[in-house]
Amino acid sequence: MAALKEEELVSLAEFAVKSALKRGADEAETFAYEGLTTTVAIERGQIAKSSRIIDRGLGIRTIVNKTVGFSYTNILTGKKVIEETVLKALKAAKASKPDKDWQGFPTRKSFAQVKNTFDEAICELSPEDLVKTASLMLEACEKTDKRVFPVEGGAGASYLARAIANSNGVAGFDRGTVVECSLATIAQESGEITPICFEFDAERLYRIDPEWVGAEAARQAASALKSKRVETKSMKVVFAHFALQQLLYYTLMDAVKADYVQRNQSALQGKIGEKVASEIVTIYDDGLLDGGLRTWKFDGEGVPQQKTTVIERGMLRSYLYDNYAAKKEGKESTGNAFRAGYLSTPRIEATNFHIVPGKKSPEELIGEIEEGLIVYSVQGAHSSNPASGEFSVVATPAWKIEKGKIAHAVKGAMLAGNIFDALKNLTALANNERKVGQLVAPWVLVENVKVIGK
Amino acid sequence: MKDTLGRIIELAVQKFGAEYVEARAQKLHKTMLTIKEEKVEAAKEGIENGVALRVLINGAWGFASVGSFDAEVLEEAVSNACKMAKAASLKLKNPIKLAEGKAIEDRVQVKPKKKPSEIPIENKIKTTLTIAKNALEYDGSVKSCTIDYLDMIGVNYFMNSEGTYIEQDKLYVWSRVLATAKKGDVYTFSREEVGSTAGYEVFDVETPEVVGERVAKRAVDQLKAKPPKGGSFPVVLGPNVVGVFVHEAFGHLAEADLTLSGSVLMDKLGKKVASEVVTIYDDGTIEGAFGSFKYDDEGVPAQKTLLVKDGVVVGLMHNKETAKKFNTQSTGNARAEDFRVEPIIRMRNTFMAPRDYSFEELIEDIKFGYYFKSFRGGQANLDGTFQVGIQEGYEIVKGEIGKPVRNASISGNTLETLHKVDAVGKDFELWPGRCGKGQTAFVCDGGPHIRVLEVIVGGSA
Repeated sequence: MAALKEEELVSLAEFAVKSALKRGADEAETFAYEGLTTTVAIERGQIAKSSRIIDRGLGIRTIVNKTVGFSYTNILTGKKVIEETVLKALKAAKASKPDKDWQGFPTRKSFAQVKNTFDEAICELSPEDLVKTASLMLEACEKTDKRVFPVEGGAGASYLARAIANSNGVAGFDRGTVVECSLATIAQESGEITPICFEFDAERLYRIDPEWVGAEAARQAASALKSKRVETKSMKVVFAHFALQQLLYYTLMDAVKADYVQRNQSALQGKIGEKVASEIVTIYDDGLLDGGLRTWKFDGEGVPQQKTTVIERGMLRSYLYDNYAAKKEGKESTGNAFRAGYLSTPRIEATNFHIVPGKKSPEELIGEIEEGLIVYSVQGAHSSNPASGEFSVVATPAWKIEKGKIAHAVKGAMLAGNIFDALKNLTALANNERKVGQLVAPWVLVENVKVIGK
Repeated sequence: MKDTLGRIIELAVQKFGAEYVEARAQKLHKTMLTIKEEKVEAAKEGIENGVALRVLINGAWGFASVGSFDAEVLEEAVSNACKMAKAASLKLKNPIKLAEGKAIEDRVQVKPKKKPSEIPIENKIKTTLTIAKNALEYDGSVKSCTIDYLDMIGVNYFMNSEGTYIEQDKLYVWSRVLATAKKGDVYTFSREEVGSTAGYEVFDVETPEVVGERVAKRAVDQLKAKPPKGGSFPVVLGPNVVGVFVHEAFGHLAEADLTLSGSVLMDKLGKKVASEVVTIYDDGTIEGAFGSFKYDDEGVPAQKTLLVKDGVVVGLMHNKETAKKFNTQSTGNARAEDFRVEPIIRMRNTFMAPRDYSFEELIEDIKFGYYFKSFRGGQANLDGTFQVGIQEGYEIVKGEIGKPVRNASISGNTLETLHKVDAVGKDFELWPGRCGKGQTAFVCDGGPHIRVLEVIVGGSA
């Protein structure tokens, strides 16, 4: 099945909105989604799998007397099934309870301009092309170190399209592409097994480097061998990209969501204009980032995405809003309504959460550390306390830094603390920013982190 | 449906020369609610219908998924799957082979006392709002309550080229309740889950009053708690924590795909990996439990699988592919979240078997340690490093339960820690949860109270 045309997806969305209004909805909104994905998978050292997944559907929100009903379908053939979906949304709304804070869907605004989010070359990738990508990655891994075993990984190419329509006249379409390759590795030597090491490259345009991914995943695993325990004490910790993404996702990225703040779930409540991080920290939520993995013309309810200053030189400047949370405070949405395809109602999420990088090279950052750790990934970040920002995680893989150099791999060290203290103790940023999920950030150095060794 | 799937399988075998083909069709209806405090954010309903096609050609897998039952669309999808398999076989070193299965024909019906589809959505809203009300009214310090409710009801149709055809009803009822409390600068957080494959009657036991109070009481009690000391300590773990430890720290390593990937259990089959008081099962046959089903997504009957017997690894969890590698039979652990994804090895209801200690006997000899009663998330690594976050814990001082501690977590190496389990209680609880391994699976974890001589406790004090 080929991709639906822009007119097809938009007219489905508009038809559903009209149908809902005709059947008694006060307001209605439709988000339609299409995803076409081709992948090849590496399992236990070889490419042995390939898949083609076609997923499309639409979700309808209807409002009746300030109650919200939602229904979705993944069957889009024929008007009858759309009308049935509309009826279910209306039924759900009528069964529900009014929300006095409901103040309507967003109104029409011109959509943002975005750059480098779609590449025809990605749509044209065949499974054979992806097998080639995955092989390059595997070969680079095998060449780097014989003690390394590529556990799993693969390569994938996706075409994603979205259409929005609501009863305030909002109507739009956007499409994008993503290509990625990834590899998870372990190394084994004389009875020792390393933790999983992981590397990947994901881009909106067809310019990924599978050979780098393979070699880097192998390098990490090999250097994770001969691990030793460390003493329990507070020290400097460099958080590499993944570790930072994992920690921030379950703490800071929740704390800046306006609904968390409004519902007394955020330690950043009431702190706009206050110092919440060291003054070298500036963070934007940039929904328009050139080639950003979360860059779109409009968010999950048709509000143009934008660049929002969240923290400016350590001062908290803004929370992130969807339309509902914004109207509750008499503000405008910051374009942060996120949808999991057609399956859900919107919720607030960061787009491209961009920590502005510093000037130091990664080598310079490490070179200035007398004693510390560099942490590539943490285990258990999802068990952090999202309200307080407290975390207690295992640093794995991680390496000890001594006298400005990587000394050895570290076994089973835990890190405990509070993300808001860590932001205040953040004393240096490297210049090596990259995109990891919602985060775009460099390595960061945090002082005085409690490390529990043995 | 039988004819439609039969024709597709025929096509893959005849036209494309597939060695093995399976077709899984799904008709599913979901009802969902999101409640925030005493407000309904949205009442939601949806349908997810579609077909997953998996073929083995030249020893490589091809997979295609489409949201349609239309014959022409399915023909195109199966030819796609075959093309995918051929592409994937280009660089194959070791062709995949499967353990053979018996041909089965069955129609599995669920007979709930209370069928979720016959309960009006108004009642489901009332139940969830009552949970929220009970949580919020428990104490003035409770600031928020977020509830997600989900029920799924439908039919899975399974057919493969070995002659198996199964129609299996699917029924799940699930709810997650999150509460936060705040006093001064202290924020606490508490989570409860309810889950069943029996029916809506799960709320007759886990009543809105019980669940609401339990989630709120924990958040409020934690306000007075202090962070634990960091370091190695003796601990007593409650059934809820034992469950997640057995699941995360041990269970994943015993999923045969991960064992083959180099987990620390590789080459440990038949060897002692734990103290002799440790016996662990993964059981798909417990009636009504959240991880139970009659047939897995490769058409293999679920069973009760003994993984560790008196400290010795005696079994792993298999699908047809890993079973062949170990020259054994599938244990019925192949599960797919839905028609969009392939079945992979997943746990079902995983637990440690009870023995003979009372709770008092477990704690009486501990001079200083911790009692960890309820978990907040856990994760393990192939090298056996595990981490389990704790949402409810207490000090143990001179053999007695002392002050509460908050935001603790435990960590260690699975095999070292299993050897340090020196006493196992006689009680038993099973808790519902969800497990992520790229896909989400509904599971239960559990066991009795146990004592562990030493684990690393991550604390900031």
